[in-house]
Amino acid sequence: MNQITESSDSSTDLTTWEIGPYHGSLPAPMRLRLGLDGEIIANCKVETGFLHRGLEKTCELHSWKAVITYADHLDPEVAVYGELVFCLAVEELGDTSVPPRAQSIRLILAELSRLSAHLLYMVRMAKAVGSETIIHYLLRDRERILDLFELLTGARFSLGFLRFGGVKADVTEGFLERVLEVCEMIRIRMKEYNDLFTFNHVFLQRSSFIGTMPASLIRNCGITGPNARASGIVFDVRKSDPYMGYDQLEFEIPVGRGEGGNVGDVHDRFLLRLREMTQSMEILKQLIEKLPTGEFLNEKYEKGFTIPAGEAYSKIESSRGLLGCHVISDGSEFPSRVQFRPPTLANLMAIPQLLQGTRIEDLPVVLASLDLGIAEADR
Amino acid sequence: MMTLENSWVVAWSRALGLPHDIPQWVYALIALICIYCLVVIPSGAILSYLDRKLTADLQARVGPNRTGPVGTLQPVADLFKLLQKESQVRWTWSENLWMGVHSMALYSTLAVMPLGSMALLVDTDMSAFIPFWSALVLALGTMLLGISQNSVPGWFGGIRVAAQTLAGSFPALVALLCVGVRSGSFRWSILGNSQGFAPWSWALVANPFQAVAFIVFVISGLVLLAIPPLDGGLSMSDIHGGVSSHLYGRRLSLFRFGRFYGFFLWSVITVVLFLGGWTLPTTAVEGLRNIEAYRFLAFIELLWLLFKTFILMLLIVWVARVNPRSRVDQIMDFSWKVLSPFSLLALVGASFWAGWRAFI
Repeated sequence: MNQITESSDSSTDLTTWEIGPYHGSLPAPMRLRLGLDGEIIANCKVETGFLHRGLEKTCELHSWKAVITYADHLDPEVAVYGELVFCLAVEELGDTSVPPRAQSIRLILAELSRLSAHLLYMVRMAKAVGSETIIHYLLRDRERILDLFELLTGARFSLGFLRFGGVKADVTEGFLERVLEVCEMIRIRMKEYNDLFTFNHVFLQRSSFIGTMPASLIRNCGITGPNARASGIVFDVRKSDPYMGYDQLEFEIPVGRGEGGNVGDVHDRFLLRLREMTQSMEILKQLIEKLPTGEFLNEKYEKGFTIPAGEAYSKIESSRGLLGCHVISDGSEFPSRVQFRPPTLANLMAIPQLLQGTRIEDLPVVLASLDLGIAEADR
Repeated sequence: MMTLENSWVVAWSRALGLPHDIPQWVYALIALICIYCLVVIPSGAILSYLDRKLTADLQARVGPNRTGPVGTLQPVADLFKLLQKESQVRWTWSENLWMGVHSMALYSTLAVMPLGSMALLVDTDMSAFIPFWSALVLALGTMLLGISQNSVPGWFGGIRVAAQTLAGSFPALVALLCVGVRSGSFRWSILGNSQGFAPWSWALVANPFQAVAFIVFVISGLVLLAIPPLDGGLSMSDIHGGVSSHLYGRRLSLFRFGRFYGFFLWSVITVVLFLGGWTLPTTAVEGLRNIEAYRFLAFIELLWLLFKTFILMLLIVWVARVNPRSRVDQIMDFSWKVLSPFSLLALVGASFWAGWRAFI
């Protein structure tokens, strides 16, 4: 009773609810401390670090070439982006050129990863709203992309395929045809999935007008990638700062238009990723049509690889946003410092503000819509 | 009126060699145990198997196929697995109490379950209402069970279930009145026998208002008993199954089976009210009565009723598997703002229809 009279500024006492690190609402291990006013979230504190593996420190303890396999553990869901951003930084530092064919193979892997990551994103959204059937369909299609990874690199996850100055091997026989086949299959099936899920009335009801991220919040937290574009901010590293020959490809950057509800709400973020998948498939078609012939690896740099002292920063557009990598070399055979700038970190910063005023039933949906890759945030 | 003396229980007890001077409550007890063990539990097993196989087919996967021929013994295996699991947490007296209330409210409806023209234990003028009172007591039990768990999921789960039950019971009751207006009574035997074997003689197609009442009745039943896809109170993703988040092993199996029983009961009632119930072709019934094959007739009626019930339940399961779960406030909005007006419209329409027919 005393507490109620003391806190006269607020009309009700808040219920505290602590969830995590493992809970059905959470897309990844993290802890939320929620203050609930009825079913409305009044305040929220986020605690992360449950998946900390000391990745950046580990990178300093291994030779330059070995770090590539650690870099792809940055985010196991989309392994190739960690490798790519690290290779780009090291190549800038060592002034290494990458043959055009290797550049295209890298981009094929990157765009396939984007497709697979966005399919997984849809799976998490479907799980959050409790739609079982679509989950199985999406995972079935994602398996086909993992099959392609296996065909090209021999691994389904954790590819370890990139090398400084190229890639490990040339494309396997029949790989390019199968990429086109899978793209066509996904294009056809997406129409069915849109009927079943994306424009399902119940899903629209569950995802429209909730978790709206205003552009000011995006700017304050430094959010990039699909989440930022869904709120109307046109920024994509592939366009603003092209790497690996993205400037020679024709594709569009989809921006959120708020069809279901507000600009930048959960459904907008969902739709935007669907559009990105269409663009990724366009990019894949163009890459395969004009895949250059020639070397896939710059042999000269593969043998006796040394990195001159200095530092470099590279950035790419991963499936979650701007992924940066800062590499410092002191001229030895180990990196002196490897630092990643994961896009998820900015999203985590936005969560407390974003969740204010959200109902607890919407909590899993809003969190899933942010596409949090906690592995890359905790490192 | 159907009395205990000529009900199927007596025939059974004679067949089992029980003496005639056994008091009536013993007959009633035997009947309840028979219904529970021979109808409800096997239906649960069959339906859980069909549900899993149908869902697996929809979702492009195999489903249970290891236990028994094509996986048919999977429900039995699941039951034994859950029964042998011990609970990790000790319950307080209040949790035990409310779990007891919850189960009692649920299974008190066994006696009023209409399972055929000769299997109506309580066939009174109020029979059709009794399941509703049970549903309300069930919601109370669930709510207090959730609150006594002293956790956020249990608390919200309990409150949501109670709110949903209140929202769903109004349109369901009004839809029930529509059927009563047509048949002239809420007695199971009259409700059932006012329809025939053929689909065009079912209450569903008697007039357009009955069709509206049917749709309202089915959906509001889902709301009332929190059956997927309208089970916001037991949502898995945000509150970990609500009230069931604190249940393990035997208690969880008891709770889950209770939820199934509610679904089953509601579907049986829907079939009896709207979809012809147990009625068979008149010639077949008369033929069987002439050769005094009453037990066989009761059995066939039960099978026909259960067949329609299973079809209805599988259709609902189909919808639930394909669609996302609705949010609990949206469910209640829908129930109050859409189902309730339609149910009132159906009642007014059905009343005028019945009055007009009586006038002519």
